Amino acid sequence: MPTNYPKRPGIHWFNRWVGMLIGTLLISFMLADAVVAQALQTGLSQTGSLQTGSSQPAPGLACRDSLTGLIQGKDRKGSALATPLPGATIYLKETRQGAVTDVNGHFRLTGLCPGQYTAEYRFEGYETQVRQIQVSDSGLVGPVDTVITLITENITLQEVVVTEHRSEAQQLLQVESELSGQALAATRGQSLGESLKTITGLYSIQTGPSISKPVIHGLYSNRIITLNNGIRQEDQQWGSEHAPLIDPFIASRVTVIKGAASIRYGSDAIGGVILVEPKAMPTQPGVGGEVNLVGATNGRMGVGSAYLEGAFDKKLTGLSWRLQGTLKRSGYVRAPGYFLENTSYHENNFSGDIHYDYRRVGLEVYYSQFDTKIGLFTGAQVGSLADLYAALSRPEPLSQPGFSYTLDRPNQQVSHGLLKVRAYWRIPQGGTLTATFARQQNERREYDYVPFSGSLNPELYLKLVTHTGDLIWEHTAKPNPSNGVWSGSVGLNGITQGNVREFLFLIPNFRNYGLGGFAIQRYAIDRWTLEAGLRYDYRWLRAYFLDEPTNRIYTQTHSWGNVTGSLGASYQLRPDLTLTANLSTAWRAPNVADLYSNGLHQSAVAYEIGNPNLSPEQAYNGNLVLAYSGKRVTAELGVYHNQINNYIYLKPDSIPIIRQRGAFPAYSYTQVNARFRGVDASVTYKFTDQLSLTSKTSLLYAYDQTNHGYLVSIPPNRTDNSLRYEVASWGKLSRVYAQVSGLYVARQNRAPAVTERQENGQVIFTGDFAPPPAAYFLLGAEVGFSAALGRQPINVVLTGSNLANASYRDYLNRFRYFTNEPGRNLSVKLALPLKF
Amino acid sequence: MNNSFKPSWLLLVPLTLWLSSCNKEEQSVAPTIDNESLTTATLQLTNKANSADVVTATVDNLDKSADFSKATLNLKANTTYSGVILLSDKSQTPATDVTAEIKDRQNIHLFVYTPSPTSLLTVTITDKDTNPSPGPYPIGLTYDVKTTTAGTGSLNVVLRHQPNSKNGTATPGSSDLDTTFPVVIK
Repeated sequence: MPTNYPKRPGIHWFNRWVGMLIGTLLISFMLADAVVAQALQTGLSQTGSLQTGSSQPAPGLACRDSLTGLIQGKDRKGSALATPLPGATIYLKETRQGAVTDVNGHFRLTGLCPGQYTAEYRFEGYETQVRQIQVSDSGLVGPVDTVITLITENITLQEVVVTEHRSEAQQLLQVESELSGQALAATRGQSLGESLKTITGLYSIQTGPSISKPVIHGLYSNRIITLNNGIRQEDQQWGSEHAPLIDPFIASRVTVIKGAASIRYGSDAIGGVILVEPKAMPTQPGVGGEVNLVGATNGRMGVGSAYLEGAFDKKLTGLSWRLQGTLKRSGYVRAPGYFLENTSYHENNFSGDIHYDYRRVGLEVYYSQFDTKIGLFTGAQVGSLADLYAALSRPEPLSQPGFSYTLDRPNQQVSHGLLKVRAYWRIPQGGTLTATFARQQNERREYDYVPFSGSLNPELYLKLVTHTGDLIWEHTAKPNPSNGVWSGSVGLNGITQGNVREFLFLIPNFRNYGLGGFAIQRYAIDRWTLEAGLRYDYRWLRAYFLDEPTNRIYTQTHSWGNVTGSLGASYQLRPDLTLTANLSTAWRAPNVADLYSNGLHQSAVAYEIGNPNLSPEQAYNGNLVLAYSGKRVTAELGVYHNQINNYIYLKPDSIPIIRQRGAFPAYSYTQVNARFRGVDASVTYKFTDQLSLTSKTSLLYAYDQTNHGYLVSIPPNRTDNSLRYEVASWGKLSRVYAQVSGLYVARQNRAPAVTERQENGQVIFTGDFAPPPAAYFLLGAEVGFSAALGRQPINVVLTGSNLANASYRDYLNRFRYFTNEPGRNLSVKLALPLKF
Repeated sequence: MNNSFKPSWLLLVPLTLWLSSCNKEEQSVAPTIDNESLTTATLQLTNKANSADVVTATVDNLDKSADFSKATLNLKANTTYSGVILLSDKSQTPATDVTAEIKDRQNIHLFVYTPSPTSLLTVTITDKDTNPSPGPYPIGLTYDVKTTTAGTGSLNVVLRHQPNSKNGTATPGSSDLDTTFPVVIK
C-alpha cells in the first residue's frame, strides 16, 4: 500500500481538473479502448500459485491438501453488495506460500501439509485480514471454500490507483502459453517471430535470416491476430515476407492463444492470437528505468534498448509516464562456410506512454513508431525460371563476399506508427467500461536492384492506414447463492482500412470496413469453469483499379457476414490436474491479396495471382488440454483438431508466367478443405531442486481433403529438450542458471511431391521447386545470472545457438532454395535496471 | 464528476471515429509504373558484304503477352552480319530508349545470345565495358552473327543484370530480359 499518499478530504483541485479534462477529451475526440481495469500484479497467471519459499513437508505425509476460497471486497460505507477481488493475495506466514485470486476472485493454494497456518488476505486499498487455518491429519482443509470479505480502507479510499490489468488472454478459457521473465530475457535481440519459437506448437515462416513471422499450429499471416499493447496490429501481414512490425523490447510478456480465438479479438484469428503486453506502469512515485544491451557474433549484431518511466506523487497522484527506444544494427549473417550477401538490417523504434488514473476513471495515450530497413539476400534474387533453376542446383550461393554492414538494394524499408487512446470507467454498479481508439499507419517500400533506367523509386509502395475502435463492458463477477460465479464481457469492435499503392501492381487500392459484436459469459462453480461466447462480424471490402488504356477507375466490392461461437469447459480433476476442452468456430473473409493479387512479388520470387471468387474460410476447432502440476513433474498435453473449410493458400502453379525478364514461378490463391491436427506436449521433471529436464514436442499433421494430398509450407514435427541447472546464489551471483538444449526438427515428409518436366522448352514444376530439406539437430546453451555492478544490479544472459555450426536448411524458410541457415551464434544480453 | 459519464455517450465513440476517419485517398488510383519496363526488343543485322542488306526482327509487348508476329530473323546462309540490339519502353510517353540506359550501365550488364541448335549460327560479341582488371568484359550491344548452312531454329537473347558481380560469364545476377527470336536461314 502506498504510504506517500496524503490524507486529504475531498477532491484535490488537480484531480478535479484532470478528471474534467478526461471527460472533455472523451467527448471531443471521441477516442478510447478496451481494457480490464482490474488490478493485478505482473506475471501472475490465472490461479497461479506464488511460491515465495519452499515448505518442507513432514516426512511420510503427503502434502497434497489444498485450500480454495473467494476473496471479495466491500465498500465500508457504500453498497452492501460485496464484489470479488481479482488479483488479491493470500499468504501463509508459516510456509511463505502464496496465491493470487483469478478473475472471479477465487484462489487455490495447493501442496499444503497438515498443520496450523496463519493466512493473510491482502488487496491494495483494503484492510488486510488475518485468519487461522487448520489443516487436519485426515487431509481435509477447513474451512473449505472460505469466503473472505475485505473492507475498504478509509485512508486510501479516494486514492486507489488501478494501474495493471489482467492479461486479456488470461480471461479466456483457451489454450495459451506465455513468454515472460527469464524466458523472455533469453530471447532479447531476436525478432518477435523468432522468440516465439520456444513455445510448443509455435514455428516461424522465414524469408532469409532476418524476416521471421510467427506460425501457430501451422497457420500464419492473416490467420493470426497480433495485439500490440491491446491494438490489433495491421501491417500488410498477408505477405509471408512481411514480418510483424513490433519491437519485442516493448513487451514484458508475450502470450499466445493457440487455436481459434476469434470471439474476443475479431474475426480472422483462425490460427490464434499473440498478445504483446508491456510492463505495468509504475505506481511508486519516482523515476526508474532499464537499459538492455545485446551483442551477437553472427551478423555482429548490436542492440541497445532503454526505457525511462516515472510516476508522480502528491498533486499528480495517478499520473505516470514511460519513454522507450531501441536501436538495432546487424551485418551479413554467416552460414557455415560463407556470408550471406546483403542480409544486414537496421531497426529504430521508440514509444511513449502516459497514463492517468483517477478514482474510477482512467485515460491512456500511447504512441509507438517502428522503422526498419532489411536487406534481402542477393543470392535469392532471380530474374527468371532459368535463374531459379541455376540457384537451386548450386549447393552454395554464387557470390560469397566477406563480412560487411553494407545495406544495399534489394531491400525493404517499412515504418509503422501506432497511436492509441484508451479510457476506462469502473461503473459503481459493477463492471468496467472501456473504449479504445487507435490509428495505425504502415508504409512499405520494396526496392529491387537499381534498374537499367537508373530510377531510384521503389518497385512496390504500399500505405495502409487503419483505424480501430473498441467499446467493451466487462462485468465483475456476481456470486449467486449456490456459490457459482458469473463473469463475462460484451463488446463492439470496429475497423476501417484504406490502402494506397504506387509503382508496380501487386495488390490494389482498397477500403474496408468491419464491425463485430460479441458476448462472452463464464460461470465458475466448484471445480468447473464453463465459458460460452457468441460473435457476429460484418466485413465490407471495395477494391479500386485503374483501367490504364481509358484511364478510368473501376471498383469491385465484396461483403460478408458471419456468426461464430465458442464453448469451453475446464474441470479440476485433482488439485494438481486440470482438464480443459474448447470447441470453437471461426471465419476469415478473404483479404485483398487473396482476391486481387496480380504481380511479381520480387522479394518472394513469385508471381502471385489472386482469385476474386474465393469464399470465406470457415474453421471448426476443437482442443483438449490436460495439465498436471506436481511437486517434481509439471506437464501439459494438448491435442487439437482444426478443420478449415475453404482454406486459402498460395499454390505453386504448373505453368510459369512469361514476362520480359523471362519465365517466373507462378503461384495462385487456391481454396481447399484442409484439416490440421496436432499434439503439443511439454514436460518438466525436477531431478532435484536445482536440476531439471524439460521436453517440448510439437507434432502437426495437415491434410488437403479436396485433393487428397498434402499442403505446402506446413511445419515439420519437432522436439526440443533441455537440461537446466539453477541455484539461487553462487558466490556473488544470484539467480544463476545454466542450460543445454537440443532441438531436433524432422524432415517434412507430408509435402506435395515435387516433379519437374520439360514442355516446349519450358521447365514446368508441380508441387514445389525442391523437395523438403533433411532433418536437422541444433545444439544450444544458455547461462544466466544476476550480479551487482557497484550498487546497480545487472542481469546477464549468455546464449549460444547452433553451437555445432551445423549446415542445414529449414522447410519453412522461403530462401531454403538458395542457402543454408545461419551457423553458430553466440550472444550476450545485459539488462541494467536503473533507479534514481 | 462521475455522474457526467453516461455509458450511452460512449457508444457513440466508435461511430464518430469512423465518420471522422474516412479518407478518400485510396479512391484515386496511381498508374502502374515499372522501373524496369521494356516493351520492345529489336535485332538489327547488317550484311557485312552488303550494307544495303539489313534484316530486322522485333518482339513487341514484352511486358505483357509478347507479340512474336514480326520476330522472325530471315538470314542468308554462309553470311556474316554485324548486329545491334535495340531495346525500348513504349509503355511510357515518350517511349524511352532502354539501349542508351544499358550503355550507361554497361559495367553491370551482359547480353547472352544462345542459338538453338548451337550449330545454327555463331554470335560473337564485339563491344567491351570499362570494368577494371580482370575486365574489361563483353557487353553485347553490338555483335557479329555468322551463318553456315541453311536451317531453322531460334536465337535466345538474355540481358543479365550483374551488380557488383559481373565477371564475363552469364552466371551471376538476374535477368532483365529473356526472349527468343525464331530464325530461318535460307
